[in-house]
Amino acid sequence: MHIRLEDRTPRPAPPTPQRKEEGEGPTRPDVKRPDNSDLLRRMRRVDPEAARRYRQRSGQ
Amino acid sequence: MRMMGLETEYGIAIEGCPVEDLLDSAMGLVRAYPGPHVALWDYGPESPRRDLRGFTAPVLAQDPADARYDRPDRPRTPAEVERSDRVLTNGARFYNDHGHPEYATPECRTVDDLVAHDRAGEGVVLTAANAYMTATGRSVHVYRNNTDFHGATYGCHESYLTRRCVPVAALVEGLTPYLVTRQIFCGAGKAGIEEGGAARPGYQMSQRADFVAVPLSVDTLYNRPLFNTRDEPHAAAAELVRLHVILGDANMSEWATAIKAGATSLALELVEQGWSPPVAPADLVVAVKAVSREIDLGPVGALSAAGQWSAVDVQRSYLDAAAKAFGGRDAGTDRVLCEWADVLDDLQSDLESAFDRVDWVAKRALMCQFADEEGLDLADPAMQSLDLAYHDLHPEHGLQVGLRQAGLVRRWVTEEAVTRALAAPPMDTRAAIRGHFVSRYADALVSVCWSGLGVRYRGHVERIDLGRLAQADLTRWSERLAQAADLDETMTIMSQLEGDADGRSRARRAAMQGESHAHPARR
Repeated sequence: MHIRLEDRTPRPAPPTPQRKEEGEGPTRPDVKRPDNSDLLRRMRRVDPEAARRYRQRSGQ
Repeated sequence: MRMMGLETEYGIAIEGCPVEDLLDSAMGLVRAYPGPHVALWDYGPESPRRDLRGFTAPVLAQDPADARYDRPDRPRTPAEVERSDRVLTNGARFYNDHGHPEYATPECRTVDDLVAHDRAGEGVVLTAANAYMTATGRSVHVYRNNTDFHGATYGCHESYLTRRCVPVAALVEGLTPYLVTRQIFCGAGKAGIEEGGAARPGYQMSQRADFVAVPLSVDTLYNRPLFNTRDEPHAAAAELVRLHVILGDANMSEWATAIKAGATSLALELVEQGWSPPVAPADLVVAVKAVSREIDLGPVGALSAAGQWSAVDVQRSYLDAAAKAFGGRDAGTDRVLCEWADVLDDLQSDLESAFDRVDWVAKRALMCQFADEEGLDLADPAMQSLDLAYHDLHPEHGLQVGLRQAGLVRRWVTEEAVTRALAAPPMDTRAAIRGHFVSRYADALVSVCWSGLGVRYRGHVERIDLGRLAQADLTRWSERLAQAADLDETMTIMSQLEGDADGRSRARRAAMQGESHAHPARR
């Protein structure tokens, strides 16, 4: 069966939750221009052999 | 919303500790937890071998490969000693599950509470790890993940309370297409593919998909099923079932944890009302692996006979039905519906825009950036070490923790809510009663489990049945308990609450005789 977008039942738009102001609670970050220079430093510190050595007991 | 909970088994790496010693080391880590607790877990009411399909399995399967790590000279330790259960003032359970520190949240009725308590669990495990480091002088890394890349997996299980009148077949048929496809927004991402005991390079959405072996089973340690049929409600068994979902990944993104729980609860509510999904994958095991590996989100042949459905299409069918049925009901539901819709749109139109919410997208983006900077191939074994570091909870080493600190991930709850959840239970569930006794009358407790308490009072042991309070909103009663001056007043309030519960049970039984409580499949 080929699914076409226009075949779908129109999706009711759920009410948009009110975003809180900066400092009052969870905020949506700007993902367009992230400054992740610290992340690069962290990644460079990762021991490349860490996963090879990592062993766990089998859990649930 | 329904009562929900999360149980997360953490991976640990301890300096100088081989895998053969993890059972003892994890026990030591849990026992090092310095916060207030009682160690009185009662295993009596547990029944992990009982199956929803109406039988009890003679034994639960064990992973034979795991036996290679057993030390023949290790003295046998009684299970309750090895598990070292701690019941905390917030109503949670913290214990050692076969070499993994495990944190089971208290019962929650809202997604916000569930996320706050799940995040509080990270704090509890880290606090225990720090105390263990101080005591032993050995460094500890704690990982919130589900794979060791060498054949072992450990879980992040979800519990959703539902009504026993919903037929098991309806639950399976109604929920499995959702469970197979939800990994597009709640997969934690994995570098590597494990199949038939062998590993190969690659990238997939889910850490658990490789370990799904059968469609249905009561087992959790071996031959893991897509749909777990364990029948252990920890509540009024004649009326209630605890849907035990063992398929999910442990998310670092709290947004992913929130949508995983919120959308799953809504999908379950659709099934309770008799709704049926538009697809029925012929082979659920093949389908879950195929979706996990289709990281371009194109059509997946295993989802339907015609093979034109993508995982996003299947999720939209659930979202559309849920928005129509439940949209506008309350703010919590609307928030879940809104975020669920947004992420499906984003995944379809601009995959990388989900970087701030979806773990597998964020992890892959970090790996691609690192590979570009360092001139590495994505198949380089170092990528699995980056994968592991993504899940490290250490504030200075963890990659996703670094994203949180930089404000690059979307939050669901405030840090203040997480801090509160470290000590205080949700006020609207039975966890409030458990937490109240642990924080104020620990000396009077003689036993604790999910469905009850044993309290020494006036020279004998009173059994408090929490099982029949599983569905009740206990906010008013929790507020009264908080005001109680002493154990006498607390026990008086509990007696009144049990009388109130008796009345509600009688009313519920009477209502169940009418057709309004029957599932459409049984009418």
